[in-house]
Amino acid sequence: MAEQVIKPDLEFVKGVMAAGGDSLKKCYQCATCSVVCKVTPDKNPFPRKEMVWAQWGLKEKFQGNPDVWLCHQCSDCTAYCPRGAKPGEVLGAIRKQSIKQYSAPGALVDMVNKKALLPLIFIFPAVLLAVLLSAAGTFGIPEGDIVFSKFAPIRFIQVVFTPALLFGLAVGAVGMKRFWDDMKKANKVYSGDFMTSLISTVKDIAGHNRFKKCNENADRFTSHFLVFYGFVAAAIATALGVLYIDIMGMESPFRLGYGTPVKIFGNLGAIGIIAGIILMMSNRFKHAEKLGGAGSYFDWLLITIIAVLGISGFLAQLSRIAGVATIAYPVYFIHLVFVLSLFIYLPFSKLAHMFYRGAAICFNKYSGRE
Amino acid sequence: MAENKTALVIGGGFSGLTAAVEIAEAGQDVVIVEKNPYLGGKVAQLNKYFWKLCPPVCGLEINFKRIKNNGQVRFYTLAEVQDIKGEEGNFDVTVKVNPRYVNDKCVACDACAQACPSYRSNEFNFGMDKTKAAYIPFNQAFPFTYVIDAKACSKDCGKACAAACKYDAIDLNMKPETINLKVGAIVMATGWDLYDATRMDILGFGKVQNVITNMMMERLSAPNGPTGGKIVRPSDGKEVKNIAFVQCAGSRDENHLPYCSYICCLASLKQSMYIREQYPDSKATIFYIDLRTPGLYEHRFLWKAKEDPNVTLTKGKVAGITEDPATKDVIVEVEDIFSGGKVKATFDMVVLAAGMVPGTKDSKIVKDVSYTPDGFVDASTAKKGIYAVGTLKSPADVVRSVQDATGVAMKSIQSLRRR
Repeated sequence: MAEQVIKPDLEFVKGVMAAGGDSLKKCYQCATCSVVCKVTPDKNPFPRKEMVWAQWGLKEKFQGNPDVWLCHQCSDCTAYCPRGAKPGEVLGAIRKQSIKQYSAPGALVDMVNKKALLPLIFIFPAVLLAVLLSAAGTFGIPEGDIVFSKFAPIRFIQVVFTPALLFGLAVGAVGMKRFWDDMKKANKVYSGDFMTSLISTVKDIAGHNRFKKCNENADRFTSHFLVFYGFVAAAIATALGVLYIDIMGMESPFRLGYGTPVKIFGNLGAIGIIAGIILMMSNRFKHAEKLGGAGSYFDWLLITIIAVLGISGFLAQLSRIAGVATIAYPVYFIHLVFVLSLFIYLPFSKLAHMFYRGAAICFNKYSGRE
Repeated sequence: MAENKTALVIGGGFSGLTAAVEIAEAGQDVVIVEKNPYLGGKVAQLNKYFWKLCPPVCGLEINFKRIKNNGQVRFYTLAEVQDIKGEEGNFDVTVKVNPRYVNDKCVACDACAQACPSYRSNEFNFGMDKTKAAYIPFNQAFPFTYVIDAKACSKDCGKACAAACKYDAIDLNMKPETINLKVGAIVMATGWDLYDATRMDILGFGKVQNVITNMMMERLSAPNGPTGGKIVRPSDGKEVKNIAFVQCAGSRDENHLPYCSYICCLASLKQSMYIREQYPDSKATIFYIDLRTPGLYEHRFLWKAKEDPNVTLTKGKVAGITEDPATKDVIVEVEDIFSGGKVKATFDMVVLAAGMVPGTKDSKIVKDVSYTPDGFVDASTAKKGIYAVGTLKSPADVVRSVQDATGVAMKSIQSLRRR
């Protein structure tokens, strides 16, 4: 056997343990996890090998490793782990390290997810938004009927939020490309039919097919499905807004009645997001004992952003209908702050999973390992 | 000063028997209280045991002979200790003796069993066969006296047995008796039970017909077992030519038994030899996390197994067992760690190397001692004059249990003779 020199990266081990993988060292490599996992490929299955790599600090093994992202944290592994090593939680913590590696600058991942900086995470976009709104001369509670565009004009929203979203998407896309290249370097590609793999991936994600394989935590299918399609509906409503305003030249489609597609999609989206995120939170507490805890700070930051975003959006609408301006405008402001947070933190929060998990699922098909 | 010069041994398995004869041979009286209708415990159920791989009855016979020759050991079968009062040198013990319905006149002629119309599941063979409700526990049982299982025996059945007996040995009016024993020292020797394999929902026991436990494998291989020693599978009696052993079935698992049960690795290696010797063309695979064979002898045993090309040792814990409905073959799911792949392998029969649960897990008759969360006796907390032996303190094999029993015998004698 060829001699192999192992260079453990202790910082990596500490990082994983700090991010919710503190049970890592309990693993004794029995491989129960790889067998009970229903989302792993049979060839070189996870998470047993990831557990030993992480224990030994073999950071380079995670370079271009699709497996930590193929994991959907069903936690079947954690439920059956004979040692309480919680492979599901450990892989979640490794994913955070993976985001740090690919979303540039990676230091932002730690900053965004640092408990001590929690108020700042939201104060920063709030102050930014307040300054910009003051510059636009609309910061304050307007007189008369409650119309949110009096507070934040549509052009303002477009000018501020579109670049914010594009920033988030661009950083994520660059990270995804780097991850893809690393995966190609680190793994054998047997198949290599990209388009077929991509179409199959889109189908998998649309149908949440991989979630359906979870046993112990089957509830996650419903909650993720609701939040996912909630955002899809909200995105459609936004796109329709763009269509009405910029293409059809209407002043504001949002003041049309509740039967219009914009309102229908917007409200369906809100309901999906709110119901899904509440279900997600309650599932976490319900399964906490058996499935290795209610989650890490990293998880809860994103859950909080989405929950506040959804609930504040819906409350803004309700208070507008109720005609309480002193509630409606502040709540709307909070809503905007959290939407902005979601966009700018997109590649640095847990939401970055949309890039890397998507890429990993596609690569798994592309490489012919599936 | 000890008032009572008799020692009580609770449990008549190999540890208890050893403690009893060692104490008696030093000149003290001993009483054994055994819950089964026979002495010998788990060892009596084994096919072969370490280290000479001889039939365990030979070791048991030696102890029974020593009991007979010595004359200072009394024993109660079908008996359970119910209460213990007092202290070293002066214990007052209440024992319930359940009726055997057969007295000492029995000559084991088998006439009652032949006449008996009712059957019972044979727990000595882990339910793999049946006996009549009037039965002898096994062909070398000590005492060699029949028993009537009242639960399995309807009214008429008892009468049929009694009518068939020419020796006036059947007494259907026997009632449970409560007796009091005055003793000076108490040896806890209630041994171990096999972990309930149905509790591991992914290992298929109780659902997949051809999945058995390691203790069932001992009975299946034993000449006095349900198949006369022919290793065939339960579903269809087919010869077992391709067998798998699943190590750590419950042991070293926080969800079941958090500790290593110590004996299972060697037991599976031994059982792989049963099958290899019986069918020269057979194959055996042992799936393990770590093969734990501490000690020189044990290592040699492992090396011997490794030399056999038909024995495969695969690193990886089995975490899925299903049945092929057409053939009743057993499909085992495992990650073969050294080759790096998840595999599904098919076997004629699968043996779960289930672990040891101390007898004191569910039955804590002795109050003057602390128990670990897993039910083991914390020997350091035992009241003076009370000693635990063998597998009550930690999982152990027969050899180590016997060594421990000899040491405990010494401590008990001190309790009886302390001035």
